Amino acid sequence: MLITLTRRIRQGILLTAATLLLTGCELFEFSPNDVRAPAAERDLTAKNLARLQATPKPTGGDTLRFVFTGDSQRFHDESGPLVESVNRQRGIAAVVVAGDISDFGLRREMQWVNDRLRHLNVPYLTVIGNHDQVANGRQAYQEIFGPLNYTFTYDRTRFILIDTNSREYGFNGKVPDIGWLEQQLADTVGVRRQIVLCHVPPTNEDFDPTLIKPYTEALAKAPRLLFHLNGHAHSFSIGEPYADGVTYINSYAFEKRQYVILTVWGADQYKLEKVAF
Amino acid sequence: MPFNYACFSTSGGFFGLILSVLPAAAQAPTDSAATRSTRAWYVPQHAVLQTAGGIGMVSGGVGYSLFRQRLDVDALAGYVPQRYAGNKALGIFTLKTTYTPYTITLRSAAWRVHPLSFGGLVNYTPSRTLNRSRDEKYYDGYYWWSSTVRFGAFIGGKLARPLKPSPTGQPRAVSLYYELGTNDLYVVSLATNLSGLKVTDVLTLGVGGKFTF
Repeated sequence: MLITLTRRIRQGILLTAATLLLTGCELFEFSPNDVRAPAAERDLTAKNLARLQATPKPTGGDTLRFVFTGDSQRFHDESGPLVESVNRQRGIAAVVVAGDISDFGLRREMQWVNDRLRHLNVPYLTVIGNHDQVANGRQAYQEIFGPLNYTFTYDRTRFILIDTNSREYGFNGKVPDIGWLEQQLADTVGVRRQIVLCHVPPTNEDFDPTLIKPYTEALAKAPRLLFHLNGHAHSFSIGEPYADGVTYINSYAFEKRQYVILTVWGADQYKLEKVAF
Repeated sequence: MPFNYACFSTSGGFFGLILSVLPAAAQAPTDSAATRSTRAWYVPQHAVLQTAGGIGMVSGGVGYSLFRQRLDVDALAGYVPQRYAGNKALGIFTLKTTYTPYTITLRSAAWRVHPLSFGGLVNYTPSRTLNRSRDEKYYDGYYWWSSTVRFGAFIGGKLARPLKPSPTGQPRAVSLYYELGTNDLYVVSLATNLSGLKVTDVLTLGVGGKFTF
């Protein structure tokens, strides 16, 4: 009987070991601050951009329609319903997320968000938020998503995505990178309209006070700027805080169970719709 | 607690293979409490080596066993190479306690089975490698959690095999363990997202070995 028991236990152990080996790779964590992710979950910005460029625009003429949201943070209960809602919309080319993908700057949180957003029918693009820079978050973001400042042009619309989380760098005077922004705004070859997307807006205390003026002036001078999109405040707002012709739109956070659809056409026309989910 | 085992000839299988590299054990050790008293109280009783479980790609340390070997208290230093940490390699310093209430002694097997272990840990990752959430650049309460100190809890199991006592008569043993764990920030994430996250989303796995000397 004991021998049978031993055999049973041994079989049990082997079975447990096999199960753990199969499911264990994902669980085998060196540190919550390690940034290692499987190949399928790395360089998502580049992959989503490649997917975007390979997809014909779903709207006719010069009309471009995209979803604007932000601050997915620790709102995982809302990310599934958001995806289902966006997937029911027509004519959407992409989803842009205005930073704070994670709450604690942990790799696993970014993977949880991607686990939901990868089920979008369209590519999604992100910009880094302040929460994504806590702990080892900046490394995790770069590993999973990609560069902190980048641009892409789709349907002659140039999106400029920039790290404006100045406080995370101790207000070192280098973030946001004004020189880089000016360069991107000046490059208008084949560009009909420009959109700047970031996390912390210049109206916020987390934006480097010494860079507010050069930043807002660069935007005001931009030849084809449609609007400035940002997150951070979690509530929707739209306005012209510097009375300089530049419209600033703050996204809803995931927790608000609402998002915005922006439809742009012509040189400077756009329509804004709010969708609750 | 005297060890009660009969024979080491039972072999084969996965663990038997691992064991063939270990020195063969001899007869059961004598009263372990008596032999332990020959060693200064502060000398650690075992060495531990672990991989993963949130405390390093490799973490090693020493510890003590209390309450008839049922409660282990270990101190470990862990390492995550730069390749997995991005910018700089991470060092992780962990204090850990494990309670192992049950022992199944098999007459025909060399190994003792401890089907259940559970415990808790606290660790510190030096802020030189992390952007510390309590840094001066933030005002008080800007971020509510600490990015360098993590609390964890785990549940697991253990297999132990007594070995030939040391020349000075100290009982020796080797054990292999696994732990399914989580940490405070993962628990907060799960607790606030009961439909959006699953328990398996927040689990970590670690395996390790201990050598009692």
